[in-house]
Amino acid sequence: MKELEKTKRISIASTLFILAILIGVLTFERPKNTYALNTKSTLEKLTTNDYFISVNEIKRENFKLIDIRSQYDYDKGHIENAINMASSDIITEENQALLTELKNSNKTAVIYGNKPAQANIPFLILYQLGFDNIKLLPVELDYYQNKLIVSPTEVEKSKQDIKSFIEESVKNAKVETPVNVVKPIKKKVVVVQKKKKKAPEGGC
Amino acid sequence: MDKKKIAKVLSFRYKIMAAILVVLAGGLVLLPKYQKQEGIKSEALLNHAISPERYISTDQISDKLISRDPSFILVDVRDEASYNDYTLPNAINIPLAKLFDDNSAPYLNQDQFDVVFFSNDNFHADQAWILCYRLGYKNLRVLKGGLNQWFNTIINPKIPSEDMPAEDFELYSTRKAASMFFGVAYQDQNVEKDMAISKPAPKKIITVAKKKKRPVEGGC
Repeated sequence: MKELEKTKRISIASTLFILAILIGVLTFERPKNTYALNTKSTLEKLTTNDYFISVNEIKRENFKLIDIRSQYDYDKGHIENAINMASSDIITEENQALLTELKNSNKTAVIYGNKPAQANIPFLILYQLGFDNIKLLPVELDYYQNKLIVSPTEVEKSKQDIKSFIEESVKNAKVETPVNVVKPIKKKVVVVQKKKKKAPEGGC
Repeated sequence: MDKKKIAKVLSFRYKIMAAILVVLAGGLVLLPKYQKQEGIKSEALLNHAISPERYISTDQISDKLISRDPSFILVDVRDEASYNDYTLPNAINIPLAKLFDDNSAPYLNQDQFDVVFFSNDNFHADQAWILCYRLGYKNLRVLKGGLNQWFNTIINPKIPSEDMPAEDFELYSTRKAASMFFGVAYQDQNVEKDMAISKPAPKKIITVAKKKKRPVEGGC
């Protein structure tokens, strides 16, 4: 009699186990908007590839312009043939489908915003999601009498040589006493223990 | 007869169950390969990247530098040549290409200091921010406008015109003083000093009549 009870429990447990696995398989959902690149390879591609495109180039070839500003700004004025995709909505299903379609048809998506820095963020996120057909249009937008003015700019250009400006000012001021120039003090050494890389643990 | 049949099937039940389990285990191999995602989810990254919270203004940074606030590290993400030419006081140099070198990880991946990225503009600094933020690094900030803004506001502040409000003049004088702290000399700074030195006023002599000591009176 006792043995019978035991086997009963075993069969109940195993049916539950099988059920749990079945439920797990059926409810499995693929994560959305997964990264295609990890951070290291993104960085490598960013520093080696040219992701800018000039204004003249878009006129010549077949591109899709994407305006990442808000709907309001887009309605006020936008570059010809551009479509609107506000930067907060770039990973909605609809827009992702559109971008995938562009990618599959080998069209280049060209992103622009008020300033290159504004287009930078959506660009970089889409880039990490695996859209390698994306380029950035380095332009600044401005309005003149309600007309949109597009002027190309250079990104990360140093506008002024600060060091020589400071030296010049010291020279011009003819200061007799040496000016107390704040020199960079020694590098701040942050004592943070390096995390030891753990040996890969065995998975199942 | 029926009972016998049932008993026969039942005697196989463990084998049947074992077989089902083995088949299910085999099915696990067929499951789509689970892509391991590095860092935070893309939705969260986008939401945080869009908000301008990460920016810190040049005025705030100059305040912190002057008051010798030890709570932050400035990270220059430009190349080495521009770093050697000019950089902010106490900044360390981690060119964007070397962001994930082993040497830079202790500076970036810690929770004791705020990390402030800067470059000429905030374009490359933003890129560094996004990549590091995705990895879950804490306390990351970006200098708004970068060194170009630093020059326009702190090093070479614009003199406000006369019709501007008083706050602008106050801001200008603060910034001018800050720029002097960071090494800029002005032509009028010595004049002001000379003006300040006035002749010492002659000492006034105040005569106070001394109290005469009274002869000691006898007690009782």
